[in-house]
Order: sequence, then C-alpha cells, then structure tokens
Amino acid sequence: MKLSKKNIENKVSFHSFKQLNLDEIKLAEPLVPAGFPSPADDFIEMEINIQDYIVKNKEATFCVKVEGTSMTKAGINTGDIMIVDRSLNPKHNDIVLAVIDGEFTVKRLAVNNESIYLMPENDSFSPIQINESMDFQIWGIITHIIHKAR
Amino acid sequence: MGYHNTYNSQSQMIALVDCNNFYASCERVFRPELEKKPVVVLSNNDGCVIARSNEAKKIGIKMGEPAYKRKEEFKKYNVNVFSTNFALYGDMSSRVMSILKKNSKDIEIYSIDEAFLDCQDGDLDKYAKTLSKKVKKWTGIPVCVGIAETKVLAKLANQIAKKHTKSGVFILQKKEIIKKVLQKTAVEDIWGIGTRSAMLLNSYGINTAYQLICIDESWIRKKLSIVGLRIVHELKGIACLPLENKKQIKKNICTSRSLGKPTSDYNQLSQAVSTFAARCSEKLRKQESATTEIRVFLYTNPFNTKQKQYYGNIALKLSQATNDNQTLIKEALRGLKIIYKKEYIYKKAGVIVSKIIPKNQVQLNLFEDAKNTGKYQKISNVFDVINNNMGKDTIKIATQGFDSSWKMKQEQLSPSYTTRIEDILTVKI
Repeated sequence: MKLSKKNIENKVSFHSFKQLNLDEIKLAEPLVPAGFPSPADDFIEMEINIQDYIVKNKEATFCVKVEGTSMTKAGINTGDIMIVDRSLNPKHNDIVLAVIDGEFTVKRLAVNNESIYLMPENDSFSPIQINESMDFQIWGIITHIIHKAR
Repeated sequence: MGYHNTYNSQSQMIALVDCNNFYASCERVFRPELEKKPVVVLSNNDGCVIARSNEAKKIGIKMGEPAYKRKEEFKKYNVNVFSTNFALYGDMSSRVMSILKKNSKDIEIYSIDEAFLDCQDGDLDKYAKTLSKKVKKWTGIPVCVGIAETKVLAKLANQIAKKHTKSGVFILQKKEIIKKVLQKTAVEDIWGIGTRSAMLLNSYGINTAYQLICIDESWIRKKLSIVGLRIVHELKGIACLPLENKKQIKKNICTSRSLGKPTSDYNQLSQAVSTFAARCSEKLRKQESATTEIRVFLYTNPFNTKQKQYYGNIALKLSQATNDNQTLIKEALRGLKIIYKKEYIYKKAGVIVSKIIPKNQVQLNLFEDAKNTGKYQKISNVFDVINNNMGKDTIKIATQGFDSSWKMKQEQLSPSYTTRIEDILTVKI
C-alpha cells in the first residue's frame, strides 16, 4: 500500500494502492450488531505507512537534524529532520551529508570534469571545491526532508 | 562416533563476521572527527575500559583496566572517553546483523558484535569482501570476515583477518595453510579451549593447535571430554558445532548494578530493587517465560577494607510461576526487607529470577485466583506496550521511585543518536 509514484510528483495527490495481498486483508468483525453496516467497513486497514514510504533501506537509514541556513533554497531549514540513506551511491545533484576534515556539512553535490564541488543553496554562501588536501567523504545521501508546517 | 558426518556436506563454509572495536566504532560513526584518534568506552558506572580504538590500544591501554588508573594517560594523549551507550550499540548491532542475515543462508548471532554465517562454497573471497564493504558503507561499522569449514577454524581465520590482512578478510581453506596456522596457534587461543584445559594440555607438552590434532582422540576424550573432542574435530575440518539460530530461553535472568553512590538508605535500595525486579519481569515476558524463584542480593564494597563487610542474599519460592511485574516487585521487596541491615553501606544490589519455564507451561495454583492472574497479565502487557513505544520507565510501579541517585554513573554518555528523536545527530550547515 504505497503512494503511487506518478501521483507523488504532482503536489496534491490521491493515493492508489498496490495490489492487495489476500493475507493482508483483515476480515471485518464477525459480530455485526443490528443496523446498517458502515459503508467504510470495506476499507478497513488501508492505511498509509509513512515509514515504508520514506525508509527504503532500514539498516542504512538515519535521521539527522539541521541547524543553519546554507541550504534554505533547497527547502532545508533549521529544525528540519533529514532522512539520510547511506546505502545509495552519490551522484551529481544529490544533496549529501558530507564530512570534510572531520566536520559534517550538508550541500548539493556537483561533479564535473573530475572536480567535485559542494554547492550551498543560499547566495550568501560560497561553493566548496574539494581538493586532495581535504579529508573528504560522503556520509550519506539525503532522501527526504521533514519540515514542520506549524 | 557417528556424529562426524551427520551435520554437513563438504560445500558448507562458515564465516565469522566480527565488528572491529565495536563500541568505539559506534561512537565514531556519529563523531567523524574522532577517526584516527584514540577512543575508549567504559563499563557500567564508568568503571573499566571495555572497548578501545586501535589508537587507544597503541597507547597501551588494556582491556578491563580500571579507568581511574589511566586518568593521566587519557589526558596526556587526548583520549576520547565514553560511557556505555547500550541503546546506540544495540541499534547499530541490529542493523549490522540484519544486513548479514539478508546476505547469508543462515545466521547465528553469537554476540552483540559477532555472527557466524552459513555461506556456500563459491568465490568466498569476493563474497566476504563485498559483504564487509556493504556493512561498512551502510552502517559505518568496520568488520573483519574469516571463512573456513568449521566454526572453530572460522574463528581462527577471523583472528588472522584482523591482525594480518589489510582487507580484513581471510579464507582459511587450503590444507597446507591450515597446517601452518595451526602450528602457529597456541592452544589457549583456540575458541572453546578454556584456560584450565590449556594449562592441562601444556603440562603434557601440548602447546600448539597442530600438536593437539596429532594426538590420539581417545586420550583427548578422556582428558577434555566430548566437548574438547568436538573442538579437535572442528580443528581437523570436521564440522561438529552447527549454527544455533534458535533463540534459547535463558535459564537465569539477573539484573544488578553497582549503585551510583554507595548507600545504606532503605528507600533508595527498595527503589533500585523494584526497578531490577521490573526489568527481570520485562525480560521474562520478552522471552515468553515465567519464573518460580526470585533471589535478591546486596553487598558492601569488598575493596573498601575500612568498611564493615556484609553480603545479604535470599531466594524466595513463588507459589505459582509468573512474569508479572507487580508480583515480582512485591516478592523482591519482601526479600529485601529480610536481608537489609541498616548498619552497612551497600555498593551493589541485584535481582535474579531462576527456575524459568516457558509461559505456556505455567500451572495454575489451586489457591490462586485465576481471574487475578489474568488481570495482572493484562496490566503487565500494557506496561510493555507503553514502555516499548514511549521509552523505558514511562510508566512504572510507584515503588520504583523517582529519586535516581542509585542509578549508574554515566558521565560521558553520548546521545542515543538512532533510538530517540530528541537525541538525533544535529549538523550545522
């Protein structure tokens, strides 16, 4: 029972369900008191599981909290919780949790002609070019950002 | 001796995967600035060193050393000291084990940081390297993999992987290499040979694993029993120790702690003992069993020779096997009352439940009200649901108290990065 991909891309979405497995369907309570049965009974147990939607590789997924403004244009703000998946291989344009000389940072990864940049998404910050003197590693790939709307 | 060939065919190989300096490595995943720096983790109450990074080993810090003895070195070499954070280590362990499980035919989780895997013959070197890379990438925890035909040999292979390879992988399969390794392995370093057996073997001039496998088996059986003979067979490449993957019911469960501050205060002791009893009852329910005997003990600090010494200890039989927290706390406190003497200063207390049986074998007592038993059971289950979902001791029995000065000292505790939302890693960006 996952959100269909197509609908996620549009911002407002209806959700459709994956093919139902018979084992997953719980039968309604056998005892039905007199009266008209609720038409909603047929839809019991069809819940969305946010965890399943967000976490693809449980063993490799970590939550990390944000503090700072360097990525505001990417929608990452102080207090947000980022979902970080370590199992993914980094590619150009990913937002990554990186470690430079022992310090964490979050930036957009830009790879071109053998040079690597970490790009901020806030005009008052400058890109960081990775060079050989730096101890650089990618800790994980940001897959989701959880932002409280109120 | 028919058991030689009962277990497996020749194609079965066993891998031992062992996490390197596990506790120290867990701390480092969330503190990458500690890479290549000395890290140690201390036991409960910040007492002894129980994990060391390679850099801490190089300084000469030994396993099990009391922390206070090394205070100066810790300072001099900038050693990063941590209290045990079992919430973190437990979660990181289950991540590692889950990856191993998904990448093997069968698994025996041997300890928090070690597992035996059943891996079929094939390109074992490639399998092991891929697996260790995957664990490192996904969790940040470095591991070593040793593969051989039996568990005992796999354990040796793992030691070699750890000490003598760069890749952290070693396959111990070729006959002539096994022979060389056994010649260089002291009997006391063989998994399953205890110190006493090793001393006994040494007294007969048997010092290496190779000497051991050259001896007449009936002699070994006589001196080391069937258990020792199995180890010898395993060294010869005959698998006798199958993977044990079924969770075994523990026969005894003990919850005890050194008190954060030594005390003679009855209230504090009763809070501690109530909490230990509650913890035992949780553990019993987790393994779906019940106990018929509960033991309470307390003792003074044996190292403080100026104090009067006392060891109080009592076992109480229960009229009916149970695992519910109210009954167990009530009984534990009854025991405490009997053994408590106010003139002593206590350092440690604990609760042990024994004579454990599976829950479905509990016999109802003729004089016990079955209705009540069911009620207590339901209440205990509610405790479990709430405490599992909302954190330890969210609800508890009032005698467990709110004054926690008896609790353990954990001055260098790291956040529970992976198990509490308020503790997750924060990064400045």
